[in-house]
Amino acid sequence: MAGMPIIRGVGLTKIYGNLVALTDANFAVMPGEVRALIGSNGAGKSTLVKILTGAVAPTLGTVEIAGEAAPLGNPRETIRRGVACIYQHSNLAPAMSVLDNIFLGRQPTRWLGLIDRRRQRREAVALLDRHGIDLDLDATVGSLPAVKQKEVEIMKALALDARAILMDEPTGWLAASEVAKLHATIRMLRARGVGIVYISHVLNEIFSVCDTITIMRDGKIIAESAVADIDRPRVVHLMVGEKLARESAQASHQKRHPRGTGEARLRAHNLTKRGVFKDVSFDLYAGEIFCITGLIGSKRTELVRTLFGSDRFDGGTLEVEGQPATFRSPVGAIARGIGFVPEDRHREGLMLNMSVTENLAMAMLGRFRRGFLLSRGRMVDAGRRAISILSIQPPDGKRPVALLSGGNQQKVLVGKWLNRAPRILILDEPTVGIDVGAKAEIYAILRRERELGAAMLVVSSDLEEVMTLADRIGVMVAGRLAAIHDADTTQMDEIVREIGGVAA
Amino acid sequence: MAQNAVIFRPATIALILFFVATVAFFCVSAPRFATAANMENLLSGYSFVAILAMGQAFPILVRGIDLSIGAVVGFVGMVVFDLTLIFHVPGYMILPLALLVGTLAGVVNGALIVFLKLQPFIATLATLAAYRGLTYSISGRQLRPDLTTTAITDPWIVGIETYFDIGSWLGISKLLPMPWLPLSFVIMLALFAVLQTLVMTTRFGRDLYTVGGNYEAARLAGINAARVIICAYAIAGFCAAVTALIMVARFTTSTEALGTGMELTAIAAAVIGGMSLAGGIGSPFGPAVGAFLLGAVLLGLTLLGVGQFVQQIITGAILLAAVGYDRMLVLRRQRRLTANPADAV
Amino acid sequence: MTVDDNPANDRRKFLKTVMLGSAALTGAAGGMFQSLELAGGKLGIAEAWAEGTRFKMAFIQWQPHTVPAAWSKGIEEVLKPQQAIDYELLDGQNKVEVQVSLMETLVNQGASVIFLQPIDSVALAPSIAKAKRAGVPVITLNIDATEPHAAHVEMNHYYGAMDIAKAMGAAMGGKGKVAILNAPPGIIIRDQRTNGFLDGLKQHHPDIRVVADQVADWDRKKAQDVLNTILAANPDLGGVYGVNDSMALGAVDVAKEKGLVGKVTIFGNDGEVAALESIEAGELTGTQYTDVYQQGRLAAAAATVLATGGVPATAFAQQSHLLMPYLIATKENVGSIQPSQRW
Repeated sequence: MAGMPIIRGVGLTKIYGNLVALTDANFAVMPGEVRALIGSNGAGKSTLVKILTGAVAPTLGTVEIAGEAAPLGNPRETIRRGVACIYQHSNLAPAMSVLDNIFLGRQPTRWLGLIDRRRQRREAVALLDRHGIDLDLDATVGSLPAVKQKEVEIMKALALDARAILMDEPTGWLAASEVAKLHATIRMLRARGVGIVYISHVLNEIFSVCDTITIMRDGKIIAESAVADIDRPRVVHLMVGEKLARESAQASHQKRHPRGTGEARLRAHNLTKRGVFKDVSFDLYAGEIFCITGLIGSKRTELVRTLFGSDRFDGGTLEVEGQPATFRSPVGAIARGIGFVPEDRHREGLMLNMSVTENLAMAMLGRFRRGFLLSRGRMVDAGRRAISILSIQPPDGKRPVALLSGGNQQKVLVGKWLNRAPRILILDEPTVGIDVGAKAEIYAILRRERELGAAMLVVSSDLEEVMTLADRIGVMVAGRLAAIHDADTTQMDEIVREIGGVAA
Repeated sequence: MAQNAVIFRPATIALILFFVATVAFFCVSAPRFATAANMENLLSGYSFVAILAMGQAFPILVRGIDLSIGAVVGFVGMVVFDLTLIFHVPGYMILPLALLVGTLAGVVNGALIVFLKLQPFIATLATLAAYRGLTYSISGRQLRPDLTTTAITDPWIVGIETYFDIGSWLGISKLLPMPWLPLSFVIMLALFAVLQTLVMTTRFGRDLYTVGGNYEAARLAGINAARVIICAYAIAGFCAAVTALIMVARFTTSTEALGTGMELTAIAAAVIGGMSLAGGIGSPFGPAVGAFLLGAVLLGLTLLGVGQFVQQIITGAILLAAVGYDRMLVLRRQRRLTANPADAV
Repeated sequence: MTVDDNPANDRRKFLKTVMLGSAALTGAAGGMFQSLELAGGKLGIAEAWAEGTRFKMAFIQWQPHTVPAAWSKGIEEVLKPQQAIDYELLDGQNKVEVQVSLMETLVNQGASVIFLQPIDSVALAPSIAKAKRAGVPVITLNIDATEPHAAHVEMNHYYGAMDIAKAMGAAMGGKGKVAILNAPPGIIIRDQRTNGFLDGLKQHHPDIRVVADQVADWDRKKAQDVLNTILAANPDLGGVYGVNDSMALGAVDVAKEKGLVGKVTIFGNDGEVAALESIEAGELTGTQYTDVYQQGRLAAAAATVLATGGVPATAFAQQSHLLMPYLIATKENVGSIQPSQRW
């Protein structure tokens, strides 16, 4: 390995508004090194990669490529300097052909900018041969299955003949044979001196193909090691942190209530939505918190949206409190006592320009009606009560919600639904982007609701959260509910392994 | 070949068939539709609409819209008017100046959208008012009222409105009377050839589709997406300038209200021509055909004696049908384009 | 049929009479309105036409408005009884290119006569030229075009404005200050009416000064704002000339508000119903009233003659102007305008 890192980030920090996504990260990859980057969701991995590839500019810090300072936030420049990236979310042009996508933005041209189609095709065919990948160059990318689309992305990155390739969860949809092919390609690239960053949850893959590993948590890089010098349990331990490991050990002694009071409030049987999720079955009981976890893209949000009536499912049955339910819209679900706290609180949950009181009252304005008019007095009173119960800071009902901190905003959002005393409450990533203190407060609120007998379904990618909060844990992988565990009899690493996917 | 190739798209074939059917229908049912004079009317009256529609295709392709091109037409027209009648600038200098002014107006639009991050609808709505206001304020007709009765006579400008008796050249006119081909139609064909080639076979063309299909993917792939968008609007401005020149030649004057409402006609022609307002699909071919289709329908209905209000209703219905068809294609496309993780496991 | 045939000569003579008669009438200051005997069906047209020949005529207006609607009504009154004529009202939608396209379509259809209210005098000239070459006569209404054509029937903008000046000056006692509420520049009618007014003042009341000539966009509300500003600078304003009735009525509104009715002489131009009613109420001092229906009828009469082919369009080497008779309507004589004549 040569002495100079092919790509290096120094002191990288990224702050989005209130949220600190990355703090003072120092990261380097040598030519011919395959470095794994691991951490739970929200740990800052994607942010780090986006800064290194120029997709996003850091708030502080610099990036060097092959020793030269690179312009920040400029994907063109980083590509030009030989850094390719396979992002987690597809960055292909779905309406164009595979061939066009492989050379997206860089088609070989003759005079006047006319594309040299023959040369393009020749190079693409050679590329596919070299890596043993089978793709129909003329197929429309959008019509290919996800697996093939991922291969197109890989080809696109390889076509750049880059010095460094960063891959963000590259094996999400790949079958075992394809993963093997990808790893073979990675080894070949390593032999050629290409530096590779490999982000993944899947410990098996990391231990199979990577040379070194960087572990991140809460926006910081907390450990680096050669893969040979570390073992799986230690990695998991570092990923979730001493405190949490202890807490989760403690929490596992905490009283859990799997299946709550035993009264099944919601039964889902073989729920299917074509192309999204398949054969999802579970029961939700009063007085329990059931957490569904999994990777981003495992379609958990899509699943819970159908439970709430925001979307429709194609197959399977849903029963709410013993009665079959087919909701055409959230109105029906709300009428049956279901509440939904969405993932994107800004776009889908709160009216940012309205006051705290108004937001709290939004879901149940009917209760404040006196004849035709709204009774402001009653609204304000109810608001005051909720603010005190939820400890919303500052305790001012007239304050526009946009001025509150993220944590308090989330409390308002949760409070809005709690005001209705729902029978079933679904929460999608309730504490994402919220500081630790507010998280704890929200957990307390949820636990209290559980004591009062509500049935709660929480979608969360945060392992820490799942281990702390859940009475039962469901793991969703690629649109299927792979397993359901009782929290008091499960270990964290078992969950981690399952999330990583027992790829067939 | 990718989905957006002109010849193979089902929507384009449907458009061509519909156009042929419409013309055939009117030839049979409307008196004097199938005459050389009427064809000439269609060509001379709608070639510039086709040019404007082709220009509008570019902002639409990059997922935007240009509501100001009608105002740009008026503005360029007034610039030409002033230059020739007040400042007596010779025609051969006015032509390139006019094209430059139109292109710059388009660049302003693109810059507002890219650098100020305004939504295209809002940005071009603002420039619509601005350019129209500018047209009124530089209007030579108000500065020198005697010019309202002066016709433009510069041969370089007026010469745009010439007709070629191709019937005689080709000797066909003995067999059947041929319409005289207007120069504006030839200009349209030339512009079409250039723009279509640009879009289909150059890297810039590919970039247009990429940016229109997925701006972020384009940016991450290293495409200078900002520049692509500005160029798209610049092309729209250029086409507006050509339209203005043709119209000024046709009328031998320009009015402050020139081009009012033409942006909507251009959008209608583009949508009827199969451009998707969501961007990333279509080519200049569709809007051009769409413009002549609209022209044929309007002329045919007038010759049939259909009242003008009814004409507007029918045009609206065609537009609605085109939008509905586009929407249906989009939904079908979406269903095919989503990833299938459940099937991959 | 050549020009020397007797029937043709009769028609030609008639047309000349119509023209001369109108010209004579316009010279008469404050002349009483005189209805012309238009023997619509008696011109012997019917005999000239072969059985089954239909003549197509159409009027391309600027955009829907009371004035062209009234013209169209008048035209129809003359044309409809002549059963061989198909008449159609077409809308220019305020777009020059639409009018040009309609002109071409009509020529293609073999129209016998085209009535046109051009949106722009120059822009429609090439189309008129094309029509002339195809042998289709064009009659313009109110707004002239720069290409010589068969006939132009207008509201007598120039002389009428002169008479307004004369009447206004008389009402003001021959001296004082006057303001003009004007149309946006660049429109021929504006110049005709303004120049007529100014020339009239110069000729009859040279002591009266025009202190303001502001644009009020043909609009009543705008006129109110403009006049308020003018009055602030000239509180002793004696007269206001609104180049159309809407603007004059705006001036009336201001006068009523400021209690100046009767102290300020206000004249409009056009002769709309609202203006006539205002005159009867004693608020508006006067206006130039033209029987717009009659204008349409006159145009149609000319058209009927031209359509028979007796006088080919190309024979008009020069523009022929038909100036409408008008009445300077004031409180004294406004009652003579019949309800059926009001538009």
